[in-house]
Amino acid sequence: MKEEIQRDLFNLLVKSGVESFIGVPDSTMKHFIDEGLKKNKILITTREEEAIGIATGMSLSGKKTLVFMQNAGFANSLSTITSLVQLYKIPMILLIGWRGYLKNDAPEHEKIGKVQPKLIKTLGLETKTLNEENWKKACWWALTRLKNEKLAGLIIRREFVD
Amino acid sequence: MLIRKEAVAILAKEIGNEPIISANGFMSRDLYETSEKDSNFYMIGSMGLASSIGLGVALKNPRRRVYVFDGDGNILMNLGSLVTIGALQPTNFIHCVFDNKSHESTGGQPTNSNKIDIAKIAKIANFKIFKISSKNQLKGIIPKTKKMPGPILILIQVEKGGPKSTRVEISPPNIKYRFMRSLERK
Repeated sequence: MKEEIQRDLFNLLVKSGVESFIGVPDSTMKHFIDEGLKKNKILITTREEEAIGIATGMSLSGKKTLVFMQNAGFANSLSTITSLVQLYKIPMILLIGWRGYLKNDAPEHEKIGKVQPKLIKTLGLETKTLNEENWKKACWWALTRLKNEKLAGLIIRREFVD
Repeated sequence: MLIRKEAVAILAKEIGNEPIISANGFMSRDLYETSEKDSNFYMIGSMGLASSIGLGVALKNPRRRVYVFDGDGNILMNLGSLVTIGALQPTNFIHCVFDNKSHESTGGQPTNSNKIDIAKIAKIANFKIFKISSKNQLKGIIPKTKKMPGPILILIQVEKGGPKSTRVEISPPNIKYRFMRSLERK
Protein backbone atom coordinates (compact mmCIF):
# COMPACT_ATOMS: atom_id res chain seq x y z
CA MET A 1 0.00 0.00 0.00
CA LYS A 2 1.32 3.44 -1.01
CA GLU A 3 2.92 5.67 1.60
CA GLU A 4 0.33 8.40 1.17
CA ILE A 5 -2.60 6.04 1.70
CA GLN A 6 -0.97 4.47 4.76
CA ARG A 7 -0.66 7.94 6.31
CA ASP A 8 -4.24 8.84 5.33
CA LEU A 9 -5.43 5.57 6.83
CA PHE A 10 -3.82 6.44 10.15
CA ASN A 11 -5.27 9.96 10.16
CA LEU A 12 -8.75 8.77 9.26
CA LEU A 13 -8.73 6.35 12.22
CA VAL A 14 -7.52 9.08 14.60
CA LYS A 15 -10.13 11.50 13.35
CA SER A 16 -12.76 8.82 13.95
CA GLY A 17 -11.83 8.52 17.61
CA VAL A 18 -9.27 5.72 17.75
CA GLU A 19 -7.07 6.89 20.64
CA SER A 20 -4.28 4.37 20.93
CA PHE A 21 -2.31 2.26 18.47
CA ILE A 22 -0.35 -0.54 20.10
CA GLY A 23 1.75 -3.28 18.60
CA VAL A 24 4.90 -4.72 17.14
CA PRO A 25 6.19 -3.08 13.94
CA ASP A 26 5.82 -4.52 10.46
CA SER A 27 7.61 -3.04 7.45
CA THR A 28 4.46 -3.72 5.39
CA MET A 29 2.80 -0.81 7.24
CA LYS A 30 5.85 1.24 8.20
CA HIS A 31 4.39 4.54 6.93
CA PHE A 32 1.21 3.96 8.94
CA ILE A 33 3.34 3.44 12.06
CA ASP A 34 5.60 6.37 11.20
CA GLU A 35 2.59 8.68 10.97
CA GLY A 36 1.50 7.50 14.42
CA LEU A 37 4.97 7.96 15.91
CA LYS A 38 5.04 11.53 14.61
CA LYS A 39 1.71 12.17 16.30
CA ASN A 40 2.81 10.45 19.51
CA LYS A 41 0.02 7.88 19.42
CA ILE A 42 2.01 4.66 19.05
CA LEU A 43 2.97 2.27 21.81
CA ILE A 44 5.50 -0.38 20.78
CA THR A 45 5.39 -3.55 22.86
CA THR A 46 7.72 -6.51 23.23
CA ARG A 47 5.23 -9.05 21.85
CA GLU A 48 1.88 -9.00 20.11
CA GLU A 49 0.03 -10.71 22.98
CA GLU A 50 1.23 -7.95 25.26
CA ALA A 51 -0.17 -5.37 22.84
CA ILE A 52 -3.55 -7.12 22.84
CA GLY A 53 -3.49 -7.19 26.66
CA ILE A 54 -2.83 -3.44 26.88
CA ALA A 55 -5.51 -2.72 24.25
CA THR A 56 -7.93 -4.85 26.29
CA GLY A 57 -7.27 -2.69 29.37
CA MET A 58 -7.91 0.43 27.33
CA SER A 59 -11.04 -1.03 25.78
CA LEU A 60 -12.30 -1.86 29.31
CA SER A 61 -11.85 1.86 29.99
CA GLY A 62 -14.22 2.67 27.12
CA LYS A 63 -11.51 3.74 24.65
CA LYS A 64 -11.18 2.82 20.98
CA THR A 65 -7.92 0.98 20.29
CA LEU A 66 -6.08 -0.65 17.43
CA VAL A 67 -3.42 -3.37 17.63
CA PHE A 68 -0.97 -3.76 14.74
CA MET A 69 1.24 -6.74 13.97
CA GLN A 70 2.75 -8.95 11.29
CA ASN A 71 1.06 -12.24 10.57
CA ALA A 72 3.93 -13.96 12.44
CA GLY A 73 2.62 -12.05 15.46
CA PHE A 74 -0.93 -13.02 14.61
CA ALA A 75 0.19 -16.64 14.90
CA ASN A 76 1.74 -15.80 18.29
CA SER A 77 -1.55 -14.30 19.42
CA LEU A 78 -4.00 -17.12 18.68
CA SER A 79 -4.54 -18.11 22.31
CA THR A 80 -4.89 -14.48 23.41
CA ILE A 81 -7.50 -13.87 20.73
CA THR A 82 -9.53 -16.93 21.69
CA SER A 83 -9.15 -16.87 25.51
CA LEU A 84 -9.28 -13.10 26.04
CA VAL A 85 -10.60 -11.02 23.13
CA GLN A 86 -13.27 -13.43 21.87
CA LEU A 87 -14.10 -14.92 25.28
CA TYR A 88 -14.80 -11.54 26.93
CA LYS A 89 -16.08 -9.93 23.70
CA ILE A 90 -13.50 -7.12 23.77
CA PRO A 91 -13.91 -4.64 20.92
CA MET A 92 -10.72 -3.59 19.10
CA ILE A 93 -9.29 -3.35 15.60
CA LEU A 94 -6.53 -5.79 14.64
CA LEU A 95 -4.40 -4.51 11.76
CA ILE A 96 -2.43 -7.47 10.43
CA GLY A 97 0.34 -7.33 7.81
CA TRP A 98 0.14 -10.19 5.33
CA ARG A 99 3.68 -11.38 4.72
CA GLY A 100 3.93 -14.33 2.38
CA TYR A 101 1.15 -12.93 0.21
CA LEU A 102 3.60 -12.84 -2.70
CA LYS A 103 5.02 -16.22 -3.64
CA ASN A 104 8.60 -14.89 -3.65
CA ASP A 105 8.50 -13.34 -0.15
CA ALA A 106 11.17 -14.53 2.33
CA PRO A 107 10.95 -18.25 3.23
CA GLU A 108 10.04 -17.69 6.90
CA HIS A 109 6.78 -16.02 5.80
CA GLU A 110 5.75 -18.59 3.23
CA LYS A 111 3.79 -21.04 5.39
CA ILE A 112 2.00 -18.52 7.61
CA GLY A 113 1.18 -16.40 4.53
CA LYS A 114 -0.43 -19.42 2.96
CA VAL A 115 -2.50 -20.55 5.95
CA GLN A 116 -3.47 -17.07 7.19
CA PRO A 117 -6.88 -16.87 5.41
CA LYS A 118 -7.77 -20.33 6.73
CA LEU A 119 -6.68 -19.44 10.27
CA ILE A 120 -8.81 -16.29 10.19
CA LYS A 121 -11.78 -18.29 8.98
CA THR A 122 -11.30 -21.06 11.55
CA LEU A 123 -11.14 -18.51 14.37
CA GLY A 124 -14.32 -16.88 13.09
CA LEU A 125 -12.67 -13.45 12.77
CA GLU A 126 -14.42 -10.89 10.60
CA THR A 127 -11.83 -9.16 8.40
CA LYS A 128 -11.46 -6.98 5.31
CA THR A 129 -8.36 -6.92 3.14
CA LEU A 130 -7.35 -3.35 2.37
CA ASN A 131 -6.50 -2.05 -1.08
CA GLU A 132 -6.10 1.38 -2.59
CA GLU A 133 -9.74 1.56 -3.65
CA ASN A 134 -11.60 0.11 -0.66
CA TRP A 135 -9.54 1.32 2.31
CA LYS A 136 -11.90 4.08 3.42
CA LYS A 137 -14.92 1.84 3.21
CA ALA A 138 -13.07 -0.92 5.06
CA CYS A 139 -12.16 1.59 7.78
CA TRP A 140 -15.79 2.65 8.23
CA TRP A 141 -16.75 -1.00 8.42
CA ALA A 142 -14.18 -1.61 11.20
CA LEU A 143 -15.23 1.53 13.08
CA THR A 144 -18.89 0.47 12.92
CA ARG A 145 -17.92 -2.89 14.37
CA LEU A 146 -16.09 -1.13 17.20
CA LYS A 147 -19.14 0.98 17.90
CA ASN A 148 -21.19 -2.23 18.12
CA GLU A 149 -18.60 -3.61 20.57
CA LYS A 150 -17.17 -6.11 18.13
CA LEU A 151 -13.73 -7.18 17.03
CA ALA A 152 -12.65 -6.21 13.49
CA GLY A 153 -9.64 -7.31 11.47
CA LEU A 154 -8.00 -5.26 8.72
CA ILE A 155 -5.38 -6.97 6.56
CA ILE A 156 -2.60 -5.18 4.67
CA ARG A 157 -0.97 -7.25 1.94
CA ARG A 158 2.78 -7.19 1.47
CA GLU A 159 2.93 -6.26 -2.19
CA PHE A 160 6.66 -5.75 -2.54
CA VAL A 161 9.84 -7.72 -1.88
CA ASP A 162 12.98 -6.11 -0.48
CA MET B 1 4.90 -17.94 55.94
CA LEU B 2 1.80 -16.51 54.34
CA ILE B 3 -0.91 -18.62 52.72
CA ARG B 4 -1.82 -17.19 49.31
CA LYS B 5 -5.57 -17.20 49.79
CA GLU B 6 -5.26 -15.33 53.07
CA ALA B 7 -2.76 -12.88 51.60
CA VAL B 8 -5.09 -12.17 48.65
CA ALA B 9 -7.97 -11.45 51.06
CA ILE B 10 -5.88 -9.10 53.24
CA LEU B 11 -4.58 -7.11 50.28
CA ALA B 12 -7.96 -6.90 48.51
CA LYS B 13 -9.57 -5.58 51.70
CA GLU B 14 -6.98 -2.80 51.98
CA ILE B 15 -7.42 -1.92 48.29
CA GLY B 16 -11.17 -1.42 48.68
CA ASN B 17 -12.96 -0.35 45.51
CA GLU B 18 -9.96 0.39 43.31
CA PRO B 19 -9.65 -1.88 40.24
CA ILE B 20 -7.86 -5.23 40.59
CA ILE B 21 -6.86 -7.30 37.56
CA SER B 22 -6.14 -10.87 38.66
CA ALA B 23 -4.13 -13.53 36.84
CA ASN B 24 -5.65 -16.80 35.66
CA GLY B 25 -5.69 -19.95 37.75
CA PHE B 26 -5.78 -20.00 41.54
CA MET B 27 -5.10 -16.26 41.77
CA SER B 28 -8.47 -15.29 40.28
CA ARG B 29 -10.21 -18.11 42.15
CA ASP B 30 -8.83 -16.90 45.49
CA LEU B 31 -9.83 -13.30 44.78
CA TYR B 32 -13.32 -14.40 43.69
CA GLU B 33 -13.91 -16.56 46.73
CA THR B 34 -12.53 -14.17 49.36
CA SER B 35 -13.21 -10.70 47.97
CA GLU B 36 -15.84 -10.73 45.19
CA LYS B 37 -16.44 -7.21 43.81
CA ASP B 38 -17.47 -5.57 40.51
CA SER B 39 -14.11 -3.83 40.41
CA ASN B 40 -12.27 -7.17 40.08
CA PHE B 41 -11.37 -8.21 36.56
CA TYR B 42 -10.86 -11.97 36.69
CA MET B 43 -8.64 -12.89 33.75
CA ILE B 44 -9.46 -16.57 33.41
CA GLY B 45 -7.42 -17.30 30.24
CA SER B 46 -4.54 -15.57 28.41
CA MET B 47 -1.85 -16.49 30.94
CA GLY B 48 0.78 -13.81 31.46
CA LEU B 49 -1.29 -10.82 30.42
CA ALA B 50 -2.76 -9.52 33.71
CA SER B 51 -0.04 -6.86 33.98
CA SER B 52 -0.61 -5.77 30.37
CA ILE B 53 -4.37 -5.42 30.91
CA GLY B 54 -3.61 -3.52 34.12
CA LEU B 55 -1.27 -1.20 32.24
CA GLY B 56 -4.00 -0.38 29.70
CA VAL B 57 -6.46 0.38 32.51
CA ALA B 58 -3.86 2.48 34.37
CA LEU B 59 -2.95 4.57 31.30
CA LYS B 60 -6.59 5.42 30.60
CA ASN B 61 -7.64 6.01 34.23
CA PRO B 62 -5.02 8.31 35.72
CA ARG B 63 -7.20 9.11 38.73
CA ARG B 64 -7.47 5.48 39.85
CA ARG B 65 -4.86 3.31 41.57
CA VAL B 66 -4.76 0.16 39.46
CA TYR B 67 -3.67 -3.11 41.11
CA VAL B 68 -2.57 -6.30 39.38
CA PHE B 69 -2.63 -9.60 41.28
CA ASP B 70 -0.08 -11.75 39.51
CA GLY B 71 1.74 -15.00 40.14
CA ASP B 72 5.42 -15.80 39.60
CA GLY B 73 4.63 -18.20 36.73
CA ASN B 74 2.40 -15.59 35.14
CA ILE B 75 4.85 -12.69 35.14
CA LEU B 76 7.67 -14.97 33.99
CA MET B 77 5.57 -15.63 30.86
CA ASN B 78 5.48 -11.91 30.03
CA LEU B 79 8.69 -10.39 31.38
CA GLY B 80 8.65 -7.91 28.51
CA SER B 81 5.69 -6.32 30.26
CA LEU B 82 8.00 -5.14 33.05
CA VAL B 83 10.14 -3.37 30.45
CA THR B 84 7.15 -1.68 28.80
CA ILE B 85 5.68 -0.59 32.16
CA GLY B 86 9.07 0.50 33.48
CA ALA B 87 9.64 2.60 30.36
CA LEU B 88 6.21 4.26 30.52
CA GLN B 89 6.32 4.87 34.32
CA PRO B 90 2.57 4.90 35.00
CA THR B 91 2.37 6.49 38.47
CA ASN B 92 -0.92 4.71 39.30
CA PHE B 93 0.22 1.13 38.60
CA ILE B 94 0.82 -1.31 41.45
CA HIS B 95 1.94 -4.83 40.60
CA CYS B 96 1.40 -7.36 43.40
CA VAL B 97 3.21 -10.62 42.67
CA PHE B 98 2.32 -13.57 44.89
CA ASP B 99 5.40 -15.74 44.64
CA ASN B 100 5.08 -19.39 45.61
CA LYS B 101 7.89 -20.40 43.25
CA SER B 102 5.62 -22.78 41.41
CA HIS B 103 2.90 -23.26 38.82
CA GLU B 104 0.48 -24.32 41.51
CA SER B 105 -2.67 -24.28 39.34
CA THR B 106 -1.22 -26.99 37.09
CA GLY B 107 0.06 -29.27 39.86
CA GLY B 108 2.87 -27.40 41.62
CA GLN B 109 5.64 -27.69 39.05
CA PRO B 110 8.59 -25.40 39.91
CA THR B 111 9.22 -22.00 38.31
CA ASN B 112 12.66 -20.43 38.32
CA SER B 113 11.75 -17.64 40.74
CA ASN B 114 13.62 -19.59 43.46
CA LYS B 115 16.84 -18.95 41.51
CA ILE B 116 16.17 -15.60 39.86
CA ASP B 117 14.70 -12.81 41.99
CA ILE B 118 11.69 -11.20 40.26
CA ALA B 119 12.10 -8.09 42.44
CA LYS B 120 15.61 -7.56 41.09
CA ILE B 121 14.36 -7.76 37.50
CA ALA B 122 11.62 -5.23 38.29
CA LYS B 123 14.10 -2.94 40.05
CA ILE B 124 16.26 -2.81 36.93
CA ALA B 125 13.07 -1.96 35.01
CA ASN B 126 12.66 1.10 37.27
CA PHE B 127 9.88 -0.13 39.54
CA LYS B 128 9.86 0.77 43.23
CA ILE B 129 10.22 -2.51 45.09
CA PHE B 130 8.70 -3.86 48.31
CA LYS B 131 9.20 -7.38 49.62
CA ILE B 132 6.64 -8.85 51.97
CA SER B 133 6.93 -12.02 54.03
CA SER B 134 4.69 -11.49 57.06
CA LYS B 135 1.05 -10.70 57.76
CA ASN B 136 1.89 -7.43 59.51
CA GLN B 137 3.99 -6.17 56.61
CA LEU B 138 1.21 -7.14 54.23
CA LYS B 139 -1.47 -5.26 56.19
CA GLY B 140 0.64 -2.10 56.16
CA ILE B 141 1.83 -2.07 52.57
CA ILE B 142 -1.24 -0.55 50.85
CA PRO B 143 -1.56 2.44 53.25
CA LYS B 144 2.23 2.85 53.11
CA THR B 145 2.34 3.08 49.32
CA LYS B 146 -0.98 4.90 48.80
CA LYS B 147 0.55 8.32 48.07
CA MET B 148 3.69 6.97 46.43
CA PRO B 149 4.05 7.36 42.65
CA GLY B 150 4.36 4.06 40.76
CA PRO B 151 5.14 1.86 39.10
CA ILE B 152 5.47 -0.21 42.27
CA LEU B 153 6.08 -3.94 42.51
CA ILE B 154 5.14 -5.68 45.74
CA LEU B 155 6.61 -9.17 45.92
CA ILE B 156 4.76 -11.31 48.43
CA GLN B 157 6.42 -14.57 49.48
CA VAL B 158 3.66 -17.15 49.93
CA GLU B 159 3.61 -20.79 50.80
CA LYS B 160 2.86 -23.44 48.25
CA GLY B 161 -0.41 -25.22 48.96
CA GLY B 162 -3.29 -24.13 51.15
CA PRO B 163 -7.06 -24.26 50.69
CA LYS B 164 -8.36 -24.55 47.13
CA SER B 165 -10.92 -22.01 45.92
CA THR B 166 -13.84 -22.54 43.56
CA ARG B 167 -13.94 -21.49 39.91
CA VAL B 168 -15.09 -18.01 38.98
CA GLU B 169 -18.77 -18.47 38.20
CA ILE B 170 -19.46 -15.20 36.39
CA SER B 171 -19.50 -15.27 32.59
CA PRO B 172 -16.54 -13.47 30.98
CA PRO B 173 -18.67 -10.84 29.17
CA ASN B 174 -20.36 -10.14 32.50
CA ILE B 175 -16.99 -9.79 34.26
CA LYS B 176 -16.18 -7.21 31.58
CA TYR B 177 -19.42 -5.19 31.88
CA ARG B 178 -19.31 -5.08 35.69
CA PHE B 179 -15.69 -4.00 35.64
CA MET B 180 -16.38 -1.26 33.05
CA ARG B 181 -19.28 0.09 35.09
CA SER B 182 -17.12 0.12 38.23
CA LEU B 183 -14.52 2.26 36.42
CA GLU B 184 -17.19 4.76 35.40
CA ARG B 185 -18.53 5.13 38.94
CA LYS B 186 -15.80 7.29 40.41
